[in-house]
Amino acid sequence: MNRRHFLRGLFGVSLALPFIESFSPRKAEAGPGDVPPFAIFMRQANGVVQQTNDEPEMFWPSQTGALTTESMNAEGDRAVSELSAYASRLILVKGINFAFPGNGCGHSGGGNQCLTAQKVSQDPSGNESLAMGESIDNRIARELNPAGVEPLTLYAGKKAGYINEVLSYREAKVIRAAEHNPINAYKALFGLSNLDPEVLKKLAAQRKSVNDLVREQMQSLMTRSDLGKADRDRLDLHFQSIRDLEVGLQCALTAEEVAAMEAMSPDARANDNLEKVARMQMDIIALAMACGTTRAATIQIGDGNDSTQYTINGVKQKSFHKISHRIDSDGSEGPPIEGAHLLHHEIDRIHARMFKYLLDKLASYDLGSGSLLDFGVAVWLNDLGNKYHSYTDVPYVLCGGANGYLKTGQYVDVNGVHNGRLLGTIGAALGCKNGAGGPLDDFGDPELPKGMLTEIIA
Amino acid sequence: MRRIPTLLRAGALVLACLLPSCVGTIGGAPDEQQAVESIPERSAFPRLTHTQWENSVRDVLRLEQRPGLSTSFTGDPLGGVFDNNEAVLAVTPNLWADYQRAAEELAAMIVADPAKVALLVPADEGQGDEARARAFIEAVGKRAYRRPLTAAEIDEHVALFNLAPTVIDGDAFLAGVAHVLSAFFQSPHFVYRVEGTREPREDGLIPLGSYELASRLSYLLWNTMPDDVLFDAAAAGELDTKEGLRAHAERMLADPKAREVILSFHSQLFDWRKFEDLYKDPAVFPEFVPEMGQDLVREAELFVEDVVFAQEGGLHELLTSRTAFVNERLAAVYEVDAPSGAEFGKVELDPEKRSGILTRAGFLAANGTARASDPIHRGVFVNLRILCARLPPPPNNVPPLPPAEGKTTRELVAAHTGKGTCGASCHGTLINPAGFAFENYDAIGRYRTEDNGFPVDAADAYPLGGGMASFDDAITWSQMLAESREANECFARNWLEFAYGRDAEVEDAVLIEKLGEASRTGMSVKELLLELVGSEAFSTRRPVEVAP
Repeated sequence: MNRRHFLRGLFGVSLALPFIESFSPRKAEAGPGDVPPFAIFMRQANGVVQQTNDEPEMFWPSQTGALTTESMNAEGDRAVSELSAYASRLILVKGINFAFPGNGCGHSGGGNQCLTAQKVSQDPSGNESLAMGESIDNRIARELNPAGVEPLTLYAGKKAGYINEVLSYREAKVIRAAEHNPINAYKALFGLSNLDPEVLKKLAAQRKSVNDLVREQMQSLMTRSDLGKADRDRLDLHFQSIRDLEVGLQCALTAEEVAAMEAMSPDARANDNLEKVARMQMDIIALAMACGTTRAATIQIGDGNDSTQYTINGVKQKSFHKISHRIDSDGSEGPPIEGAHLLHHEIDRIHARMFKYLLDKLASYDLGSGSLLDFGVAVWLNDLGNKYHSYTDVPYVLCGGANGYLKTGQYVDVNGVHNGRLLGTIGAALGCKNGAGGPLDDFGDPELPKGMLTEIIA
Repeated sequence: MRRIPTLLRAGALVLACLLPSCVGTIGGAPDEQQAVESIPERSAFPRLTHTQWENSVRDVLRLEQRPGLSTSFTGDPLGGVFDNNEAVLAVTPNLWADYQRAAEELAAMIVADPAKVALLVPADEGQGDEARARAFIEAVGKRAYRRPLTAAEIDEHVALFNLAPTVIDGDAFLAGVAHVLSAFFQSPHFVYRVEGTREPREDGLIPLGSYELASRLSYLLWNTMPDDVLFDAAAAGELDTKEGLRAHAERMLADPKAREVILSFHSQLFDWRKFEDLYKDPAVFPEFVPEMGQDLVREAELFVEDVVFAQEGGLHELLTSRTAFVNERLAAVYEVDAPSGAEFGKVELDPEKRSGILTRAGFLAANGTARASDPIHRGVFVNLRILCARLPPPPNNVPPLPPAEGKTTRELVAAHTGKGTCGASCHGTLINPAGFAFENYDAIGRYRTEDNGFPVDAADAYPLGGGMASFDDAITWSQMLAESREANECFARNWLEFAYGRDAEVEDAVLIEKLGEASRTGMSVKELLLELVGSEAFSTRRPVEVAP
């Protein structure tokens, strides 16, 4: 079944529609119906409830080895048991560490490293610190996307200002702002889905004539002989961003889904809409992967030290950050929150269920030769390990084998390997190369020991 | 009471001990660096902030209000304290798509409304469509690009105008108007404040062109494009002298549009946004209702407006004025009579209990926990934002301490971080004293003399002016800050960063020192702005080290 057919079946709309060239499906390398492998990263903040000092184990299964739905259901008290339906496609990876210390703020230092495996900046420092290199989603997009097509960078939750963005880095100290509003993200990717082909042709011509003028203006600015490096880089990024619209196939969500995003738009940052927004963003990510829009996406759940007040058993709780510290304060002292570790565990489960929604969505796309989930890999990660906000045993939960490259259905403890290895292996699974043309085995800071995470390779 | 494993606590303390000692500079000018008598290199293409985009669109199109489209734009990453730092304002693919959509929507909105078209396009008085199109392109293009268009640019836009009927349905003339408007708002000449002048003077600095100066002035004082008067002044060369520039700056500061900028600076510096999202334990503070977040913001705005515009004051007044604006809810916190009639009434607060912005409920509540005062965060804030102290970062992964029974908050914090402990290098000398000064105020900013049943001790000493300066409480501490070189230089430095939209660099040290001293001896905020406008860093560019 080729993709054109599959899309028609899925959306029930006529697909003799145009599409945006810049986000066009890449020519599938493995034949019609297949999508090139992709990676999606969902980031949770504040660590999870796992065994550390006085903390009980409430996250991982009790034993490493093969995973089955039965074995995971038998340990229903563990957060990952929420994912038991996907046991055969999961890879639970314990024992991943961040290699570098933070710089004054554990949250930003963890956020800086979780997708980059890079050092944390000396200046700026504290909660404003930044990663000293690109993130894996950027690497994947840079190497595997058509020129100028960015990784998809989405967000769910409020931005409280202390630390907003943590996840996607273009290069050292250059962080990419994430889109928090699903309707904006959707419009940017698929916004013209409902237009009549004739109208769209005219719009394409209209845009092209403006683009021609703007490109010329940009070029004239860029040929100035007195451009500093920062200005040149900025203008170049802008120049690369200008895209023409061409006619072809199009991808779309249903009118109801789009209407729901429109309705949500004014309150997309509201605390209580976080889970709803996350699911909408995941709908967009899944569609983008089905359509071959981009090969990498991130979704950040909550701000740097996720201050979201999650609702548990019908009760809106104190901020996740405070719960994660077990005290009613964002600082270092304050009255204890009763049963905080249980609340934290429930928040881990909320994240597990959000991740499961993404998996369900990916699995629902039937490509004939398998579901969309089998072609890519979805990763649920954290930027801290546990309630002590440590950089050891930072949980990474993978699902999907990236078209058979990764060995799924297992729980492994890799005993203190730096996260660059895991991220590089994911990149390699998608086709990213190291400098010598081999599979990507040197992702992250150049000081880090090279190598792949062989435990998870099929 | 929860237990923290002894081993872990020891670990945290060891970490703290490894910290560099707190010898960072306090105040604006880094002493150890040789100040250079020049100006820093900066971008020739500072991008409009989203607010500036809104305001500029409103003014280009002569709308009554901002169109509001930027609320759906991709946000910008924060670049330090202020939202206008040119280093982080880039046009990414997502933002470019936002600009494109917004430009098309704006164009469609204008041509759908004959009244709006009439404001932009001269009436047809028999001169023909081509001449009308040219006149429209010249007039609106000048506002969009903030300078007159060149003849070649006019021709290019006329060509776009003439092409429009083939790509936009409906009335051919309106299609042309829409197409050109859409192009204006996607142009780099609109999106950036393009500074193209390149001829250096004898001293090597490049004086900005008249229209470039008009834009710098206008975006600094109004956060939007120049008005017609300023355009005329640029055309007449009035901005090319310091006196002319100052005269226009004075005119603009007297305009209500300047208030938005003044408030924006203080809102970001003092983090008012935080006021709106405060949680206080209702069991301890039943009077702290959610509406109080907005009250605190409004109070802060009215206070700053009063200091800057009514009192013509500066940092000294910000830190010492007892004039406050309260409604019924805030009157209770300040223990004053609620104003009658007006929603927010002007009152004078008790001079024994209040002095300026750091003793107001907003700052105190935003830097308090749900139940208690929070001397560490209050102290860190004063160090970073009022004194520009460069604190080394705190250690990672410090486990929280359980509350200690039978002690004051100060005793608890001091026992953990104060003198004689490993945290003493920073907390003991800089953070704790600056925060302990506010121990007379509880978690919502109410005045108190007892904490946890014990008398409050708010006295301490802080290294200012080369020695240790002692204070009794927040009143004397605020007074000392107001009179200090360090706080005034920090204030000048923050204003410089905000006004110029970039980080302060070593070349700015001389100016910061000069402005700090003037502020210390009574210079007002308005005068400080005029001085920033009058400096070389404002009216010239430094030749750029060309990228390889």
